Amino acid sequence: MFSIRPSKVTRSLRTTLLWWLLPSAIVFMGVAWLIHGFLLEQMSRDFVHERLHQEAEFLERQVRQTYPDFDAALLADSYFHEVFHHTFALRIGDRVAFSHPSRQDKFQPWLQNPQTNFLTIEGDETGASFLAFRKAFEMAGEPIVIIVAEDYSLLADSQQELHLWTAVVSAALLLFLVLLILLAVHIALRPVKQLQRELGDLRAGARDRLSLYVPNEFEGLIFELNRLLDTLDTRLERSRQGMANLSHSIKTPIAALTQILADRDTPVEGPLREQMVSRLVDLDSQLEAEMHRSSFAGPQAGKTAAPETQVREIVWMLGRLYENKQFHMETDLEQPRWPVEEHDFSELIGNLVDNAGKWAKSEVLVRLTQSQNELVLEVEDDGPGVEPSARAGLGSRGLRLDEQTEGHGLGLAIVRDIVERYNGHLVFSDGRLGGLLVRINLTKT
Amino acid sequence: MRLLLVEDDEMLALSLTRFLRSAGFAVDHVSSAQNARAMGLQEDYRAAVLDIGLPDGSGLEVLETWRQARSEVPVLLLTARGGWQDKVNGLKAGADDYLAKPFHAEELVARINALIRRSEGRVHKVLQASGFELDEERKRVRTPEGAWHGLTGTEFRLLRCLMARPGRIFSKEELLEQLYNLDADPSHNVIEAYIRRLRRLIGRDSITTLRGQGYVFDTSQ
Repeated sequence: MFSIRPSKVTRSLRTTLLWWLLPSAIVFMGVAWLIHGFLLEQMSRDFVHERLHQEAEFLERQVRQTYPDFDAALLADSYFHEVFHHTFALRIGDRVAFSHPSRQDKFQPWLQNPQTNFLTIEGDETGASFLAFRKAFEMAGEPIVIIVAEDYSLLADSQQELHLWTAVVSAALLLFLVLLILLAVHIALRPVKQLQRELGDLRAGARDRLSLYVPNEFEGLIFELNRLLDTLDTRLERSRQGMANLSHSIKTPIAALTQILADRDTPVEGPLREQMVSRLVDLDSQLEAEMHRSSFAGPQAGKTAAPETQVREIVWMLGRLYENKQFHMETDLEQPRWPVEEHDFSELIGNLVDNAGKWAKSEVLVRLTQSQNELVLEVEDDGPGVEPSARAGLGSRGLRLDEQTEGHGLGLAIVRDIVERYNGHLVFSDGRLGGLLVRINLTKT
Repeated sequence: MRLLLVEDDEMLALSLTRFLRSAGFAVDHVSSAQNARAMGLQEDYRAAVLDIGLPDGSGLEVLETWRQARSEVPVLLLTARGGWQDKVNGLKAGADDYLAKPFHAEELVARINALIRRSEGRVHKVLQASGFELDEERKRVRTPEGAWHGLTGTEFRLLRCLMARPGRIFSKEELLEQLYNLDADPSHNVIEAYIRRLRRLIGRDSITTLRGQGYVFDTSQ
């Protein structure tokens, strides 16, 4: 019964709840009903047994008083007879007497055996079956057997009727439970319907945030959704801003270059040619910087990175590219994933480790550790290091510490950008290897 | 020196070909992945310059085809996408170097020459032990399941030491000699940490600890 579960495809809350609750309710009620039937049976049997027992004892006293005479009338006379449809049979020695002569054949065999016990005498063609108590004793060496029997089928009928009614009531309760479930789901889903309407309005532009007039259980959800909307807004704003900047900054050089190339009278040579190349190079670096800036997802993108794997790959790759330098990696990360978008994280690591590789004499060490909810990334090299006074400017746009080592500026600027976006910390200090040590802390939000 | 240039932008290919020829290379130029596959496997080049974005497929797929066919030609990738993940994917596919567009032709030539120098006298060695393959050139290891894992310098030296003599017990002192580590005084814990990391990478049972004696790669030998 329980193996029939709704598949993952079932997407209705009602169906799921009914699937889970109904079988258990049905089983529960079925068991209760069976137990009820069993107890009812037990109780009525005990009750009948008790009565038969008492009557047999009453008869025994009668027989003992009148012995050795034998008054068959006392069987016919007894008031039990009318009230309880009881049947009596008596044997004293060879003499037998029956309250209902018609049932003589039925009871005769049971009188032969002088034993004291309860009997169940199966029904004949009239359908009557009897519960009976047989009492055996002796007087003056003569065996005496008394049987008191009650027609059980009548009792059983009424008992069955009662049992059936119980079943009907249970079924009604079950139906009521189903209705309750449906009602509960309906009530619980009302805020969702409202949310759906509001989201529709939101898309149509009729509102810009979701209302917080919802049951407590939904407050968190609405709050998160609103935060998501904030994120989306910020991101949209940023990319618009970026596109505007980019367009603004590249239109002019493009116009200038087109102008020169289209003008057949101006020969392209000498300093002008140099100038054109440098304009194009500038164009490219602007495009590159803007591309980098706009390709970051930022926090709350709902993506996670696998720091250890990504650091390992970057370290392996740079180890291959800088053949004569050693790249080491130390890590004690327990969690395989971290809430930083993968692309952002690889840009962060790549730029840091590549930077260290450029400056290192022979070694670069990357350390990846974590405390409670903080990821700590340390990259150090055995290069010349950076003067404390110059560290504040590291990674600030456009600052080049060294004209020969290209990309130092842009790489660290990107790192700074990403760390800021994730509200992390970026610290420059002296490493144990003699070069620069860059430490980045990213906190889980 | 023969060189294969795979680049679909005609203008760029034209000027590059001219520049490379003047730098002393015999250049074959193709502009599609299909031709690149065939040429790379038929001819014997000293180096290849391969653009990732080709009209009929990805340069990475071409590269993988070459590497699967055991071609060891040094390859320099060209790409318009300069993301680090792209670079990693390029090297994982078997490239030797990487250049983002736009670049100076002089730099391209310098890089190609460096690649050729590096590959000269290079015997491509692959260490094999109990289903594991250690690629000494690219410093990576392949597990019996078939996945390649890149190794950092120290990890590589340690694993090479263990895999070179499978079944032999190496004490911690012997392994310490493999690490001219950053610490002036490398401790036994460092070895344990590296062994732990290797196990996490290539499977727990690959390296066995013999208490008080040391470590063994593949005890079945």
